[in-house]
Amino acid sequence: MPARFGHLIKSAFEVFTQVNREKATSMLEFELKELENIFALLILGGFAGLPSPPSPIAVELLPYMERELTILLSRTDLSQDPLGVLMGMLEID
Amino acid sequence: MRDTAFFLGKGGVGKTTLSSAFALTLARSGKKVLIASLDPAHNLGDSLRARLNGEPQKVEENLFALEINLAQWVDTYLKESRDQLKATYSYNLTLNLDSFFGILKYSPGTEEYAVLWAIEDIHCRLAPDYDFVVFDTPPTALSLRFLSLPAISGLWVAELTKLRERILNRRQTITRLNPQSPVAESCVDKDDDKVYGKLRSIKARLSVLDALFSKHSFLSVIVNPDDLSVLEALRIKEELTRLGIPLSAVCVNKQGVSDASWKQTSELSHLPQFIYSFSREGIQTRDDLIAIGAESLMRYFLEEGNK
Repeated sequence: MPARFGHLIKSAFEVFTQVNREKATSMLEFELKELENIFALLILGGFAGLPSPPSPIAVELLPYMERELTILLSRTDLSQDPLGVLMGMLEID
Repeated sequence: MRDTAFFLGKGGVGKTTLSSAFALTLARSGKKVLIASLDPAHNLGDSLRARLNGEPQKVEENLFALEINLAQWVDTYLKESRDQLKATYSYNLTLNLDSFFGILKYSPGTEEYAVLWAIEDIHCRLAPDYDFVVFDTPPTALSLRFLSLPAISGLWVAELTKLRERILNRRQTITRLNPQSPVAESCVDKDDDKVYGKLRSIKARLSVLDALFSKHSFLSVIVNPDDLSVLEALRIKEELTRLGIPLSAVCVNKQGVSDASWKQTSELSHLPQFIYSFSREGIQTRDDLIAIGAESLMRYFLEEGNK
């Protein structure tokens, strides 16, 4: 019984720690996704009419950019209300 | 040491003829020379009276020549990316959609890059077997585009590398603070990140070419005794100055072809001038190329190269 109680306390502490870790890194992860989104935008800007690097450079990098492309697409969902997302992240009502 | 020579100028001024005469004069003076035509509309073989292809062919003692096969270089250059795309999107093989990646060869700028990588191949793979390499270039527009590519692409690669480093730093920080974050599954080290590795390899290749153009090349602009070719030469000089590539000499070809008045611009007059008379009999043999008289240009090239 004390062992189970100890295990419960340990689990609760781990969850508590993990929640705090998630909170600590959520802002960094948001910034990271924005950086990756910008990187993909710079490479693929030519498709959207933005200045872009010489297309052969983009062609060489493209095969390795699966993650960035996924983020770029998911970011389009946020493009309707980017400020709202940022305010939500900062927990501002 | 300047061991590579480029001849630039407006279409029809005599780049192929003068570069052939220059390479032939160097070869007959005992130097082992490779002359390469970068012009998609080759006529170096016609000028040297030899059948050429993409690999060096012996024209005569000490003189070897090649005409780059641009279509083959476009294919070679795109093959790696195309294969990688096919591997990443391998599920498309079942629908036979992978064949559409072939369209990449028509991407703007591809031809200039293909010329650039052909120059890199000649410089790194072939040049060590020769004393000197001479390039016969395409007309101004394409030449300036490939000469400017290392500098312009270098700027892009530098900025993209900086951004990539920032991304990798953020990934490292997040992984350290929260090892269970989904970010931990992506590449966090510079050595593992394929995008960063690719940027570094592009930068290294561009640096070699940048050094070749700005430090190890003797660039000569060819003009005819007419204002149009002189004005174009002036634009070439301005563009090269902007790119940090020095121009070494001006060759005035076809002197005496007409009596029309023309004048050399002051911006070019400080460069050493080499004058070649118009040959009314035409150029029929390789000995006619020697008769053009490229010895003084060769001597100047050798002196400059040893500085």
